[in-house]
Amino acid sequence: MSMDKKIEKALRRVQKPGRYAGGEWNAVRKDWVSTDLKMAFAFPDVYEVGMSHLGLQILYGLVNRRDDALMERVFAPWPDMEEQLRKMGLPLFSLESRRPLRDFDIVGFTLQYELSFTNILNMLDLGEIPLRSADRLAEEYPLVVAGGPCAFNPEPIAAFIDAFVIGEGEEAINDLLDTYHQWRMQGENKKQLLLRLAEIDGIYVPSLYEVQYNEKGEVKSITAKAGGVPAVVKKRAVDNLNAVFYPTRQIVPAIEAVHDRAMLEVQRGCTRGCRFCQAGVIYRPVREKDPETLLQQARETLACTGWGEISLTSLSTSDYSQVRPLIEELTKRHSADRINVSLPSLRVDAFSVDLAKEVQKVRRSSLTFAPEAGTQRLRDVINKGVTENDLMEAVTSAFRGGWQAIKLYFMIGLPTETGEDLEGIAKLARRVLERGREIVKSKGRLKVTVSVSSFVPKSHTVFQWEPQDSMEELRRKQEFLRRELRGRGLFFNWHDPEGSFLEAVLSRGDRRLCDAIEAAWRKGCRFDGWSEFFNLDRWLAAFDEVGIDPEKYAYRRYDYNDTLPWDHIGAGVNKKFLARDHRRAMAGEKTPDCRGGKCPGCGLCPSLEIKPRLAGGETIAPVQDVLQ
Amino acid sequence: MPRYRMFYSKKGPARFNSHLDMVRTLERSMRRAGLPIAYSEGFNPHPRFSFAAPLPVGVEGLAEPFDVEMLEPVENNVIEEKLNAVLPDGIRVHGVATVPDNEPSLMSVLDRAKYIVHIDEEDLPFELPDSAVEDFLSLEHVEVLRKDKLRDIRPGILKIQKVQGDSGLTLNLELKAGSVINIRPEDALDALFKNAGIETDKEDFQITRTALST
Repeated sequence: MSMDKKIEKALRRVQKPGRYAGGEWNAVRKDWVSTDLKMAFAFPDVYEVGMSHLGLQILYGLVNRRDDALMERVFAPWPDMEEQLRKMGLPLFSLESRRPLRDFDIVGFTLQYELSFTNILNMLDLGEIPLRSADRLAEEYPLVVAGGPCAFNPEPIAAFIDAFVIGEGEEAINDLLDTYHQWRMQGENKKQLLLRLAEIDGIYVPSLYEVQYNEKGEVKSITAKAGGVPAVVKKRAVDNLNAVFYPTRQIVPAIEAVHDRAMLEVQRGCTRGCRFCQAGVIYRPVREKDPETLLQQARETLACTGWGEISLTSLSTSDYSQVRPLIEELTKRHSADRINVSLPSLRVDAFSVDLAKEVQKVRRSSLTFAPEAGTQRLRDVINKGVTENDLMEAVTSAFRGGWQAIKLYFMIGLPTETGEDLEGIAKLARRVLERGREIVKSKGRLKVTVSVSSFVPKSHTVFQWEPQDSMEELRRKQEFLRRELRGRGLFFNWHDPEGSFLEAVLSRGDRRLCDAIEAAWRKGCRFDGWSEFFNLDRWLAAFDEVGIDPEKYAYRRYDYNDTLPWDHIGAGVNKKFLARDHRRAMAGEKTPDCRGGKCPGCGLCPSLEIKPRLAGGETIAPVQDVLQ
Repeated sequence: MPRYRMFYSKKGPARFNSHLDMVRTLERSMRRAGLPIAYSEGFNPHPRFSFAAPLPVGVEGLAEPFDVEMLEPVENNVIEEKLNAVLPDGIRVHGVATVPDNEPSLMSVLDRAKYIVHIDEEDLPFELPDSAVEDFLSLEHVEVLRKDKLRDIRPGILKIQKVQGDSGLTLNLELKAGSVINIRPEDALDALFKNAGIETDKEDFQITRTALST
């Protein structure tokens, strides 16, 4: 039976065949034989999630506009599709040309969350590619690369990935493809390719580094094994987002995606400096796009896709200095075409609610705010620049504006948290509910939902040295909140602490975890980020099998002097700054946002030779050598 | 507001999209084409489309009708050209007609559907004898289990006919469709094969709806 016939047979037997069918508007299918460089964009989660990801649209557009290269997509097959693929002996195939993953020159995974790691192994396996880099030295196998937030601690999957791209991909991907092309023209072997790649700024080739451990079994040093290989791989960051490629011919998913709308990235980076937040570090510095650029990109994207909604995306869109004029102008230009503007994340203040009022003519959904902690003391510790007053003003404005449902996001298990902080969460929620009762007419519809996630220490953050709370402790805290948050109009959601525990293990892990991840995958772990599939017992059995104690990773408190498993990856922010800011955190001192004009001295701008860029043309003069 | 009736085909990768996906795709395509589609009033405006019986996921359609209202008149051939320039893989419009104001809705008039079903040779353990179709059609009742309920589908089976093809088996079917009685072609064929004592898998039926009619 031909591969096409088999695929058709498989597609007739799965629940959502549209996930694998391709053919969407703006999908690009180039001639396979005559195109030199073939790269697959591999998203280790299901289609609906992957198609909501802006990074995919950016890289897809960038590669496909090159004459000598093509990029096709492949997503993690849902378990029903995996079953069909394995039963029929079909390899995992790309959506565009239906080619097996092994037929590509380069396979690029995006690492959005740690709990997708087993899906990477599953996709390699289904794509008929050996799992380990060391087993792929023959030139017939594709080069396997990865990038995205989790590449900032790449060690737990170092054995499976040939090269990581650290930081932003717009420029690095062309360097990667050009180098690959030159290497092939020279007819060299795979090791020579890896050496060539290691010389590119921002590319980390794990096999060229040696890790040594001390007598306690902790990482002692990570050193480059060859000349020309940098001791620290510094992240890539684009200097001017106005001048860089932006995808306006975004692929329009054929089946409904999680975020099914046009995406307009208004800025990159957030400098608020929340001390738990990894994105705030790895996407620094803040770079705003000019309103003229954005209006032009919005017009093109809407015309090329037909979407009726455009989302202004970024880590904190209400911080964009031109947000109000931008929204006004977008509304003016596109309201005749019934375009809705949406804002993904709201800062906790009345200004942000005003923006939401402007874009949301019908108050359908709830408004979400993230105070993150229940008391001012703890909010200062985490440097969340939000006061109770800000929150009350925001919700007052929201209730007056016609919203009847408010969602509040908090984190439990944050460093220094006490019982008072937990009580604070419940008190805040009740205050919000009371305010709602004073304003909202139809009391029956009034709804305050508290959503609680567990703190996970992440690499490169101020809290990278901190341990996670034990699962028992987190459960106890959740139980406390569940009891406190009973009553009419109050709702409580929480995440399983089991998943957060594994996330903590993986996010601060070293390369010895590779064996555990492979063992977990062999035991059937897939889609660990999906509660219906996640199974901690299977993971614990895997850790046990390879002789690793996961608690040592999740619950470890590091010293400032300890070598961290990701010390050779440079996010740009000085480690001394992080240590100093950690001490400030413990003392309950806040650190200002550099947007205000005062540089706190994180060291990023001098280190990367880059500057913050605001749409009005302002910049912030960085403090030089503040930590010397 | 001017109303237009178009017939579209849904083949290739597009046949795996659900009816709701298809509604979204058509709306976005019309926006890309710059056609002045009319929207409903209310909090959650949606385009004024109306369809006949939805096409199930995986089934090809060759002439699926749907009506759309526009804010202002557009020439029929302009609609067709503009739309075909922006429709994704597998979807094409074949013919656009203006619908008079008093014309009843598609759903209320179309109540039968024609299908071509193909089964590959390797998916058929035995050849279907010519007499099997006659035997099946002579049954008074054909009971089928749907959502734990036995249902007699025989009254909805209007025609089944073997077609001479190259390899495998091809059949023409005509079945009741729509909101009153809707017979799934795979149910009718499954019953036919069971009656003939031939074991087949419904998932192997390659189904094309060729027309909806009155």
